[in-house]
Amino acid sequence: METDKILVQSLNLRYGTKHALKHVSMKISGRSVTAFIGPSGCGKSTFLRCLNRMNDHIEGVRIDGKVLLDGEDIYDRRVDTTLLRKKVGMVFQQPNPFPMSIYDNIAYGPRLHGIKSKQELDGIVEEALKGAAIHEEVKDRLKKSALDLSGGQQQRLCIARALAVHPEVLLMDEPTSALDPVSTMKVEELVKGLKEKYTVIIVTHNMQQAARVSDHTAFFLEGEVVEFGPAGSIFSRPKDRRTEDYIMGRFG
Amino acid sequence: MKSQAEAFLTNSIYINRKRKAVVERAAQTIFSFCALFSILAVASIALYMVLNGTPAIFQVGLKEIFFTTAWEPTAAEPKYGILYVILTSIVGTALAVLIGVPIGILTAVFLAEVAGKKTAAVVKPALELLAGIPSVIYGLLGLRLLMPIMYKLELALFRDSETHRFTGGANLLSATLVLAVMILPTVINISEVSIRAVPLSMKEASLALGGSRIQTIFRSVLLTAKPGIVTGVVLGVGRAMGEAMAITLVSGGSVNMPMPFCSVRFLTTAIVSEMGYSSGVHRQMLFTIGLVLFIFIMFINLILTKILKGGTKGA
Repeated sequence: METDKILVQSLNLRYGTKHALKHVSMKISGRSVTAFIGPSGCGKSTFLRCLNRMNDHIEGVRIDGKVLLDGEDIYDRRVDTTLLRKKVGMVFQQPNPFPMSIYDNIAYGPRLHGIKSKQELDGIVEEALKGAAIHEEVKDRLKKSALDLSGGQQQRLCIARALAVHPEVLLMDEPTSALDPVSTMKVEELVKGLKEKYTVIIVTHNMQQAARVSDHTAFFLEGEVVEFGPAGSIFSRPKDRRTEDYIMGRFG
Repeated sequence: MKSQAEAFLTNSIYINRKRKAVVERAAQTIFSFCALFSILAVASIALYMVLNGTPAIFQVGLKEIFFTTAWEPTAAEPKYGILYVILTSIVGTALAVLIGVPIGILTAVFLAEVAGKKTAAVVKPALELLAGIPSVIYGLLGLRLLMPIMYKLELALFRDSETHRFTGGANLLSATLVLAVMILPTVINISEVSIRAVPLSMKEASLALGGSRIQTIFRSVLLTAKPGIVTGVVLGVGRAMGEAMAITLVSGGSVNMPMPFCSVRFLTTAIVSEMGYSSGVHRQMLFTIGLVLFIFIMFINLILTKILKGGTKGA
């Protein structure tokens, strides 16, 4: 039974004089994969970053509207962004491991939240690495620098790092755009498996990827959601002309 | 055969290779020559210091110089022990670094991460000015502002002491504080630049895991900026160790065990204050002191960088 994990109501984002997101409304179901597609600059990444308030740190950004996470508005005054981000994790476009060991990278999040016991951390690290399907590859070199891993391994490490704080939602901002095809496939497989436990929202410029991994797909254009629905129908029977043009490769 | 411009215009890929090769080779030679020049400078300074610093060692003996504490170069039976002088330089520098580096790094964090643009616009030029002030001015300020306070403190602390020799405020502590202030601009500027150079992705990685702003600064940003900060610290240590003018005015000048309220003599101040009237072995000893200082600074640059930077990669 799918439930609405996130409910977005008329979200607007203005950046200086630019109206970057226009009245975006959306229901995102729990334990599923939702993909955002659209041409560069359409606002899909910006919208993703609204869901864990990563845009708060950018000067000149004004946001109005509501984003309900399990019924709580994440833009409410009472919200503690550190708790929000513990619940809504994020994986970025470029793999961004910290310049420290593999173990310390994974333990970074749990340590932020006050977990100090070596035994507990060991358990969390192992579980997170297994969750990101990278445990077998790195289990014998946890003390080695994360920077020595390949790009694809670094990205899965970053996914493991996000999982280590036990989030419920995982935001992925074009997680494979910097990876080679084999690494991309591994991450895609991983994403498909993650929805058993997490609500995954993935931004991608790769339509085949969206078709392969997502249950629901939203097509963004110039800051608006043109079409949002089950991935199957978006890709086989787009309702809007602009969606059809985009997925047929006529622009973007 | 064509020149490069002719080849460009005629769209030909043939060119007068000799002419081009001459230019390329000339450029390479000029670069190498410039590089050689600085190596030559370092090598000749090293050679000069060794040549001038070693004769006294043979005359006086390593043991007396480095393992005795009496410095009486002008006595009828001169003594040349510089152990206290070396210790003073080490302790003074270490204390100055201990005070100056944390303040410097936190100021850099403030400027790069916390302060608004307007605040930074005021503080930044002030710091650049601080870096440009001649060192002797720091000494004068220490003399007028710091020493009276130190003297009062000394009077209060050693009121009942019968053995304490009063310094009037010119002591190790005053010198240390002046040095700590002097290394601030170096540490702050270089740390700030390296903190600003930390990629946004390192910050966002930490914030997205639920890190607070402060947690992010201390666990991610400073860690990533560490190599640059280390450079700043090493330069600061070098500056503190090599500083002479300012601390001549506030350190007292007697050769003593480096205790906070003792009048002390640093390696640098020994050279500055005695060179004018020294002669013979005494003069040669001052060059030996210079050699010791030179080796210390070399040691700091090479070893400290290695030790502090080690462990940035990996665990």
